[in-house]
Amino acid sequence: MALAALEVTGLSYSYGQGALALQDISFRIDPGERVALLGPNGAGKSTLLWCLVGVLRGEGTVAVDGTVLRPGTEAEIRGKLGLAFAEPEDQLFMPTVSRDVTFGPLATGVAPEEAARAAERAIERVGLPAGTLDRPAHELSSGERRRAALASILVMDPVVLALDEPTNSLDARGRASLSDILMQLPCAQLIATHDLEFARALCARALVVVNGRLVSDTSMCALVGSEEKLQSYGLAAPIGRNDGQSVLL
Amino acid sequence: MPHHLDLYVKRESPLQGLDPRAKMLAAGGFVAAVLVAPMRPPWSLVALAVLLMGTGTLARVPARLLSRRLFALTVVIGMPFLLSRLGGEATRAAGEQFAARSLLVAATFLVLMATTRAIVLLEVAERLPLVSTFGQMGEFILRGADLLAEEVMRTNRAWRLRAPRATMKVRLTGLTQASMSLITRAAARSERVGAAMVLRGFQGRLPMAAPARLPWPHLLAGLLFALISLGLAGMGRWL
Amino acid sequence: MVTKTSSQDALSRAREFSLAGLMGALGLLLPIGFHALGWGGSVFLPMHLPVVVAGFLVGPAAAATLGVVVPILSSVLTGMPPLAPPIAPLMAVELAAKAAVASLLYRSLRLPLWAALAAAIVADWVVLALAAWLAAGFFAIEAGPLQYLAVVVVVSLPGTILQLLAVPLTVRAVERRVPRLRPTPPEGRD
Repeated sequence: MALAALEVTGLSYSYGQGALALQDISFRIDPGERVALLGPNGAGKSTLLWCLVGVLRGEGTVAVDGTVLRPGTEAEIRGKLGLAFAEPEDQLFMPTVSRDVTFGPLATGVAPEEAARAAERAIERVGLPAGTLDRPAHELSSGERRRAALASILVMDPVVLALDEPTNSLDARGRASLSDILMQLPCAQLIATHDLEFARALCARALVVVNGRLVSDTSMCALVGSEEKLQSYGLAAPIGRNDGQSVLL
Repeated sequence: MPHHLDLYVKRESPLQGLDPRAKMLAAGGFVAAVLVAPMRPPWSLVALAVLLMGTGTLARVPARLLSRRLFALTVVIGMPFLLSRLGGEATRAAGEQFAARSLLVAATFLVLMATTRAIVLLEVAERLPLVSTFGQMGEFILRGADLLAEEVMRTNRAWRLRAPRATMKVRLTGLTQASMSLITRAAARSERVGAAMVLRGFQGRLPMAAPARLPWPHLLAGLLFALISLGLAGMGRWL
Repeated sequence: MVTKTSSQDALSRAREFSLAGLMGALGLLLPIGFHALGWGGSVFLPMHLPVVVAGFLVGPAAAATLGVVVPILSSVLTGMPPLAPPIAPLMAVELAAKAAVASLLYRSLRLPLWAALAAAIVADWVVLALAAWLAAGFFAIEAGPLQYLAVVVVVSLPGTILQLLAVPLTVRAVERRVPRLRPTPPEGRD
């Protein structure tokens, strides 16, 4: 069996006071695979993503491209697994886009000239003009900010790209544009989203998390094809609303 | 919003194009000259003032703008000067010194800031050995101010829509609560931003690109200006 | 108990840097707001509020750095407080001392918030009294140290009252929202 891009075994996490936010989650993502991470609000999707990069310390094992997450390997894991936040502003913390995008390469010792070239390539990859690099983030539209934040992660050439609610505040064109960008990327992707249409367009496989448990790991077609499953997982409104048509949430 | 607060005046002039390090060298030399120039006879200080005005003209900074900005300092410079006139000879002399030197040094900084973007000054500071952390913190503050200014504008708009005819008491209460909320949200945001920094390899210091080389004509210009200024001050002392 | 690794140190420092930056941003924006409302920035000292609050939330080094940077940066961006006469440098020393003392006493020595705030305010007064003494020397004015202190206390009274009211409320509100920022964080968290 080929080395997994991401392998999670028995991951559990508690915020304290005994309540488990994640319970015994196990799954594997192969290189180049795109997987949707679905679930209702409060299911634990974001918590899971934070655990993958070691910001939250859970029990169990997380391995990215063969490297197991433990004290001492966080930097290596974070170089291999890029996480795009739900709020791009949280990842654009330098005065200009250029400083944000070159932050990662410079912090990991890449030479400044090479970092600058990598930044230009990353900006191009996300479909932004080269001039964006010289602009402060507050001058960008929300779609441009999301892409700039994505560029700041892609510049590190991650093996796995995890995205938390990537279509937040994007219009239809923005979503289509983002979808195109993600489809071109060779890395494995784990996309936590409420946007079932977006997930269906990109991912062949879906993990469903409900109340901190992984309740389903199946093909997207099988999931979306079953109204009953969608409703039981809280991914669709009950039948009877909206003229008898179920509403995908 | 902080980018709109910048005192920088966009003009096509040799000074705007001069390397910021050269400008800081020139300004530093000029300030030193102002501080050592004798008060009597006053022609050293007058010569320095003329030099500064010439520099401002070369920079194409509008005189009215510079005057308006200097006028804002009249209270902090004028009040001590006026009060010193009520004292003895030593106090009056100190008051004159205070006013003359403060005015010239303040004008120097205003010309420097009118010809150099704040972010550029911070990037220079970031690379200087003793003040590097201050420069980095300054850059974070600038970016933070952009974020918070956007939030403040959104809150303000929401307030105007929800309570267009609110009484002063209601406004004050609302302002207090909104400020508290802004601070707590900022603290929560800082957790996420800190995580974002670490996820991109932050190990304790902000990474910096290597500085561009200081072109020697720029260095020469800055040095020459500083030396001329010090020369004018020195001649006043020795002649 | 989890031993702190260099990665956790980096995370702590990153969060501290980020929090100090946002508080510093408030230190820039609040005076502008106060001036716009005509609320006397030099009377109520709005720049002090977020910097002192930051002193209770970050370590002494970050607090002192913030105290130095905010008035200087405000001067560079807006011209106020001015660099000449050296009001911005004086405020830099003042705020650095105030924020650092607050941080040292509250976060490092675990003193109660009120005690740390009182000590920080006194530290501020001492710096101002020293500056007043230097200025008096320059202007050949003679006065005793207590006189300087008395003038300083009276002049800064409105700002002091505002800080005594606003700082504890704000620090507590932030600690409720982000429990990790309390001086003794709960077990098991970063």
